[in-house]
Amino acid sequence: MRNLPAIVAVGRTKFGEHYGKEPEKLIEEAWLTASKDSGIERRGLEACYLSDCFLPITNKLGLEEGFLSELTELHVPMEVTRSVSAALVTACHAIQAGVYKTVLVGGIEKMTDRWDKIRDDLMLLEDPWSYYAGGTPEANHELMLRAYIRKYGLTGENLEKLKIALAQIAVKNHANAVKNEYAQFQRAITVEQVFKARKASRKPLGLYDFAPISDGASALILTSDELAKKITDKPVYVLGHSSATDFLNFPARDDLTHFIASKTAMRNSFSRAEISPKDVQLLELYDQSTFMELIALEDLGFYEPGTAWKVIYDSCQDYKTYYALNGKKLFVNTDGGLKADGNPLGATGGAQIFEIFKQLRGEAGDRQIQNERENRFGCTHELEGFGTKAYVCVLGKEQK
Amino acid sequence: MSSGPIERRISYLGDRLRASRCQLCGKEYFELRDYCGVCGRKSFGKMDSLDLFYEKGKLELCTLITEPTNKFAKLESYVFGLVSFHDGQIMVPGRITDQIVPQAEMVDFSALEGKEVVPRFRRRYSVGKCDVIPTISLAFTFADEYYPYQHYSVVEPKKEYVTPGIVSYGVYTSRFRIKEGSIERSVPFIDEDAITAAVEAGKLALIHAGLDSSSVGKIYVGSESNPYAVKPIASKVAQVLKLGEEDEDVQAVDAVDTEFACKASSSMFKDAVSLINYPKSGIPAAMVIGTDNSQSAPRGCPGGELDRFVGFGASAFIFGKHDVIAEIEGWYSCTSDTPDFWRRDGEPFPMHGGRFTGEPAYFKHVRKATKKLMEKLNLRSKDVDYFVAHQPNPRFPVKIAKELGFKEEQYRDSLQVCNFGNTYSGCSLLGLAAVLDVAAPEERIIITSYGSGAGSDSYSIKTTRQLTEKRARQRMTVKYQAKNPFLNYVDYTTYRRLKMGM
Repeated sequence: MRNLPAIVAVGRTKFGEHYGKEPEKLIEEAWLTASKDSGIERRGLEACYLSDCFLPITNKLGLEEGFLSELTELHVPMEVTRSVSAALVTACHAIQAGVYKTVLVGGIEKMTDRWDKIRDDLMLLEDPWSYYAGGTPEANHELMLRAYIRKYGLTGENLEKLKIALAQIAVKNHANAVKNEYAQFQRAITVEQVFKARKASRKPLGLYDFAPISDGASALILTSDELAKKITDKPVYVLGHSSATDFLNFPARDDLTHFIASKTAMRNSFSRAEISPKDVQLLELYDQSTFMELIALEDLGFYEPGTAWKVIYDSCQDYKTYYALNGKKLFVNTDGGLKADGNPLGATGGAQIFEIFKQLRGEAGDRQIQNERENRFGCTHELEGFGTKAYVCVLGKEQK
Repeated sequence: MSSGPIERRISYLGDRLRASRCQLCGKEYFELRDYCGVCGRKSFGKMDSLDLFYEKGKLELCTLITEPTNKFAKLESYVFGLVSFHDGQIMVPGRITDQIVPQAEMVDFSALEGKEVVPRFRRRYSVGKCDVIPTISLAFTFADEYYPYQHYSVVEPKKEYVTPGIVSYGVYTSRFRIKEGSIERSVPFIDEDAITAAVEAGKLALIHAGLDSSSVGKIYVGSESNPYAVKPIASKVAQVLKLGEEDEDVQAVDAVDTEFACKASSSMFKDAVSLINYPKSGIPAAMVIGTDNSQSAPRGCPGGELDRFVGFGASAFIFGKHDVIAEIEGWYSCTSDTPDFWRRDGEPFPMHGGRFTGEPAYFKHVRKATKKLMEKLNLRSKDVDYFVAHQPNPRFPVKIAKELGFKEEQYRDSLQVCNFGNTYSGCSLLGLAAVLDVAAPEERIIITSYGSGAGSDSYSIKTTRQLTEKRARQRMTVKYQAKNPFLNYVDYTTYRRLKMGM
């Protein structure tokens, strides 16, 4: 492919509470890391794609491009999207069209500046009618889980295994985050703790089943493949990228147990990448709740609908860092996922790409997956809203 | 949501649960659409509009909300889920209302899923004191749990009368009660107020009448607890109940709120019938609603003596010339400037004149109006089958009935203050409804209201043979509400919390 987009450097902040830092400081930190690693100075940037979901609400920042311009003292084209995946897809289009050669893609979110009202904002933007009816950001996950249980007729022992499998997802993600210096929760949890929190909440999912609210920023530098080879020995190529959309109103959707948007984006991005999902053993999934990780594994086609819980349950019987897939290993959310790494909405996708980038280059430190021969491709999956938008990006360290 | 325009658009769809159906493929949408998403261009102008407001739905999936978003915080814990209509063609989010989920109680979701539910018109969530009060019908109660499900259909009228009379009525009280001594009083759930009760009562009256709502050309709503100082309740009732012909979001109906303490609605009976009778009015039917979340300061505070008697509820009456169930024989009204009970603008609770509210106020006016009416119509107490008086407490109506020469069997059925408390504007109307529930054809009822300030309206009403014909459509009778297995009794603290609303 001509002008194949390639990531040459990544940077991010720690996710969590950054009470003392302005949003600008966070993105600066992420951008400077990427800049230092790649040796690309600000004047080398031809355009910037920045993402944030809530800055106009949380920080009353409406023209984010303006502060980025002040920060970089650049007057190049800049655009704002709602997620890093969206920014990356747009940037990739520009690189592929040959418009730019070097682009900064970044994401930022500052949710704790409005910690007291953020759940109302999240719910209202995600699904207004459910908000008006009294729904919460957690409720749709629980309703979808109940729809799943009913659709696949899970009762008795199978239902127990599903519950344990969901708890194991949280346990696995926390265990991964222990080795991630940027993660919001660098501590291990147990299946018992997850169950105890569910009991306390009197609902199907509890505190340990959901991703937190976070502050943070992430950045990456995207260039054309030609230029990338001059900058680094180990560029990571964006082999395929696609997005898809679904109704805002969750109850009005045809399928209440899966996200059509995820399925569609998956199909299209892998068809563009011209590789098979079977070649992928590294996944960064959008686990806003433990159940979302399970659903994503099915939506993206790694497991048959209604079966992922069995694999997860069996795979995690004695703690391993991967799920079993046809005799191979599938590494999911090695950075701790949204659950433990954190979920600053507009920056989350950047952390997912950060992780794949580091893993593919063998720079993931303690988290590095030990499977060098097969470590060729990775895939990120990001959602906006409750499955209203889905993005899937296929990354690889070699051109297909 | 404090933006007026946004609030208006959400309410417009959500209050009546408006939906549309494609004539070509039958697909339904929970919104008003000009075309079908499946059929596209060729379906333009071929979308039928539906109201799910009168329908029965099914709770498909549910979970418990224990940490609501800020605006729902006062509801504490509640069941939330997805409700389907028309065999799953339409799916909407919804909250189960009228339930207090105790702390630490585990809810069995599978037992609730699959149950039938009925939409209820309620406050949507809490807002600031300066904001528009948001409402919605995405609140549901289980069908036949306190509120029976009643189908609304338009019935072809059988008979036209020479003069207008009562065509139908509906009484709405809430599921909650406080019981102190021999008195039970209705308590609103936290998402209810005078506006929501008025709409629910009006809905019941329309169902009872079997009347096309577009034939109602005038709506009067009497209340002394309108949560707005300026903004009518009647406009909400008119829009939600689709009174008068609807044209471009506007209803062809005259809607007005009236105020005169507890007689704000009874006063309008004669205006309603006079209006219908005026040959050039072109109004075939008019609705009168008395609604109150009866106000009182907490016990121990000035005005707090009312707190032992205040109730909650609304009574709606529809007047017209077709299929009349009770004819109006005559009336007498009297007024004097007697300040026995009042509430100054901006004050949350009314003040009360103590002993002064008795003889110089209640008794003087009720006695005068009733006596004068009976003189005018040449009636003696034995010519009357039922006597209904305003009921501020259990003692006053009995005392005045006896004084006017009525025997216990004549006033017993109307005495409802011990079941519901004083429902203020809806109070004497609730008594009348209780009598109409049990009266036989060709019986005479005298109803005398009382409003502090002060005045009384006395009416002589004669039932017709159509009274009993229409009873099949009146499942929500006063007795049904008074003696109901699903009543939820609350303590004083909870009662005050619920009464103050969200």
